[in-house]
Amino acid sequence: MSIAEGHFRLYTHVVPALKAGDYRFGTSQSLTARDKDGDIAAAELPVQGLQTHLRVTSPRYQLPPDQVLSTYPPAGTEGAYGSRLPQVVIKRRTLPWERAVDGGGDGTPWLAVVVFAEGEAEVLTNVPVAQCVSPGVQLDGPVDVEKGSCLEIRTSMVAKIMPTRKDVPLLAHAREVNINDTELMLGDDDGFLAVVIANRLPVAARNADGTEAPVKYHAVLVSLEGPGQFTTLLPKSPPAKSLTDHMVLDLRTTRYAPADYDHQLMDVKVSTPFDVNGGFPVRIGGLPGGTPHVDGPGAPSADDHDGPHADGAHADTMAATAYRTVMSQDMVTNAYSGTGSWKKVEADKGAEYLSVDTGTGFISAGVLEILDPKLRFPALLHWTFTSIGDLTFELLMREADSGLLGTMGQHPTLPEGRKPPEVVETGHVGLDQRTRRGDLVRAWYRGPLLPHPADLTSPRLTLAHTGDQLRTVIPDGREDLSLASAFEIGRLLALSQPSMVASLLRWRQLGYQAARIGALWDGILEGLDIEDMDFQAGKFLGTDLGRALARAISKNPADIIGPPREVLTAGTPMDFDGDPIRLVTKGFGIDIATDVSMVNILDGLRSVEVPRMPLADLSSMARTKALAGAFAQVRDVTLAQLASGALSSQIMTRPGGSFDGGARGVGGIFGGVPVVGPHEQAMVDKRPDALDRALAGQHDQEEDDE
Amino acid sequence: MKVDAEVVIKDLPLKMRQLKSVAVTVTDDDTDSAVPQELRSWLVRLRLLEGVPFANLVADTELLPPESIRWFYLDRRWTDALVQGALSVGTVNSDDRTHLAAQYKAIRDELDQEERNYRRLPGTPRFGGKVEAVSGFILRSQAVSGWPGLHVRAFTVDPAESDDASYPDDDPRRMRLLRLERLAPAVLFCMFDGIPQVVHLEEPRQGVQFGFDMTAVGSSSRARLQARNRTTFKDLNVPKVDVPFRAGSGSSGVVDIEALEKELAKHPATGAGDGLDAAEYALQLIRFPYRQVFGDPAEVKIDTVFKATINYPSYVAQQFITGGG
Repeated sequence: MSIAEGHFRLYTHVVPALKAGDYRFGTSQSLTARDKDGDIAAAELPVQGLQTHLRVTSPRYQLPPDQVLSTYPPAGTEGAYGSRLPQVVIKRRTLPWERAVDGGGDGTPWLAVVVFAEGEAEVLTNVPVAQCVSPGVQLDGPVDVEKGSCLEIRTSMVAKIMPTRKDVPLLAHAREVNINDTELMLGDDDGFLAVVIANRLPVAARNADGTEAPVKYHAVLVSLEGPGQFTTLLPKSPPAKSLTDHMVLDLRTTRYAPADYDHQLMDVKVSTPFDVNGGFPVRIGGLPGGTPHVDGPGAPSADDHDGPHADGAHADTMAATAYRTVMSQDMVTNAYSGTGSWKKVEADKGAEYLSVDTGTGFISAGVLEILDPKLRFPALLHWTFTSIGDLTFELLMREADSGLLGTMGQHPTLPEGRKPPEVVETGHVGLDQRTRRGDLVRAWYRGPLLPHPADLTSPRLTLAHTGDQLRTVIPDGREDLSLASAFEIGRLLALSQPSMVASLLRWRQLGYQAARIGALWDGILEGLDIEDMDFQAGKFLGTDLGRALARAISKNPADIIGPPREVLTAGTPMDFDGDPIRLVTKGFGIDIATDVSMVNILDGLRSVEVPRMPLADLSSMARTKALAGAFAQVRDVTLAQLASGALSSQIMTRPGGSFDGGARGVGGIFGGVPVVGPHEQAMVDKRPDALDRALAGQHDQEEDDE
Repeated sequence: MKVDAEVVIKDLPLKMRQLKSVAVTVTDDDTDSAVPQELRSWLVRLRLLEGVPFANLVADTELLPPESIRWFYLDRRWTDALVQGALSVGTVNSDDRTHLAAQYKAIRDELDQEERNYRRLPGTPRFGGKVEAVSGFILRSQAVSGWPGLHVRAFTVDPAESDDASYPDDDPRRMRLLRLERLAPAVLFCMFDGIPQVVHLEEPRQGVQFGFDMTAVGSSSRARLQARNRTTFKDLNVPKVDVPFRAGSGSSGVVDIEALEKELAKHPATGAGDGLDAAEYALQLIRFPYRQVFGDPAEVKIDTVFKATINYPSYVAQQFITGGG
């Protein structure tokens, strides 16, 4: 049955078929047979058994990072986590039940999340795995890492903060979610997750005055596997109560002699500090950077609290003593003040120091070790977070005072030691102002955040160049400095960023250069009145000038570039030699007898029938070619006619003979050329042309000769 | 080239006045237009009050008491004055000022447009158009410091869905946020591109959480739990269950699950009657992100959201009568 998106299903436990460990499969076979004597004894029918070895692996001392889908609260964060139980979400659904717990039932998970505040216990890292469990406990079987982490916690603290044996099974469950639900899936692959919840709320501490103080909490995923590990937990719950107390932050001032302080800081040698309060010698607990305690279980504590310099006078001790004698009691430097130790306040009872480190300060470490031994649990995962309170978001948001900016709220608490702020309906606030002359007056100020809709219809603010331009005096005589302040803030913010100042100046300089070039060109172009064109300094100035020049030339070319060149240069003899007609025929390459009249030849040529081929007989390609050729010919003729028609007036006026002079005229063009339209037949000029006239002249001549 | 010093000196201011920069429609975040790109983006951020001291946003601390949310509209005249102040840097002589005066309108129009493109999702089309009203809120609350990354959603219309519906990021009714920033650990500053009808503030979603409702009782705290039906997941109509804690010193916050089981067993629908199992326990503990809806209920009297301490007309009259005494 699939699960809808946004839904999930909870399982009490998902126990794997095989827990982690080494297994051996034994296969045996028994045969029965009978012969004539009856049944054969089983001993006579041996079958070799088959032994198969199998190892089921599972993380043991370290949770692989890819198995952790999420931790809550997120590692390293600070927040109001006081009302939420820390939890770890694990990818493999069977993981919390993959190892057997000595003393627990089948559904008992071997993992639990332990939450402790700084100082209540300790997480040791980089410990050989054999020492990750309590002294005397030995875990058989394969290990996954050589060195791991472990939680070191005193037996008394186990009873205080760790879950009981009955709690542990309730603190792990499996969850099935829709595999398309990214928010609930958290990056899992099969939609099944295992969740281990802590049994402790990370409540914030209280200061002595009752205010909340942040507490750094550690959350550790510990393994309860192994003989005697699970059974160290309480069998059942101790007495309950309906309220929970808060740790109380007890600040205690300790004065050290300078040398002791140095030792303390450098962790060279712990000696008893002066305690001006007359209290117990206090060791600074949880100083960051302290030596990690990697000594094995059972070894004496590395913190030597047996009194000052019990192991004899070191050289540095001497130095310290010497130093101390120099210092008078009054001059003892207050080099380090303030150490945190956690104190629980119970109704009018004396303070009981809970910090283990503090406790060891006045009990011999060896005695303590017997009375309250340290236990170790392998830590598979460890993260820290800071809890600043147990308020809920819901409560905060429900009770938030909602109003427009400028109001003091429904139930304003009037400030002590001064008058309540002056707020008028427009949102202006009265503030003290020191004028430039030094008078202390009141002025009105309103920030950019208005309690009423902004006026978007009226004209925008005109440009001001100094802040003083925006100062206004209003009817009650005070000044309204709102906009002037805004101007000054903008100016100062711009000045505070050198890159912005540089950018502004660069931009302004570019604008200045553009304006300067414009002004210069205006002076130059002022008298430049070409063809009534308006010149502007800019990138099109060159183009405009070029166009103006072209227009002026085309309008009056003779004035600017002079008259066109003659076709014939006057005074140059034309290179004619002999009869012109003979010259022309020679030019055409026709070798012809000069006694035949050229006019007659031309007349004969005119009457020759040009052979024509019907277009229908041609192939389509040839037809297209022929037509294109014909059209091109017509076009060329037309163009030539148009060109010569345009030129003829000039040419005809030039000296060198007239057409009326007939063939006798040499040079020039013989008359006008008829214009032919592209789609009409070539116009046949019925008028006598030059040849006709020549022929007629010949006849006349003949007639004259006759 | 003929350089006429007299022309330059006389005509330059006039030319500067004419030198209009055109507020072209910027098509790319990185092009220069009326002002260079880097200057423009800085001015846009300035217009959205980035870097303005907090004391200039909220003139008196009494106006933003702890655990309060204050709504506002943005004053265009104030932001204009802010930009004018920034532009005034380096105006040495009247030539610079003439130049600036000529350019100013184009710069302002461009900033009006570019302001809306701030915090635009990368790759989405640019916004155009004139400047519209901008509004927002300042939230001073432990909710800001305690719940980093809380969600703010603003809507142009009151969504018809129930208050706990979920909305996609590109829902057309959602209004863009021009700024969402923590000015101080416990102060959240938010600006909308317009005036929203409904604003949602939601606890950050971090998967399924387990926990209780805590209330402080003197120097201690009480945790309560609303029992749920084990099959339907509905809240049972019974008083909230007090969560027992382990007694004894040094176990602050340690939940006594056994005692809690006994408490829950009083309500058989929880499934604890026959012994609590891990799934039933988890089911009772699940907590969902809370969503606060701020809307505009009808018939709100102005004095419930804004109360002036001084009545200005009567104050002015008083000034005239007493001469400011």
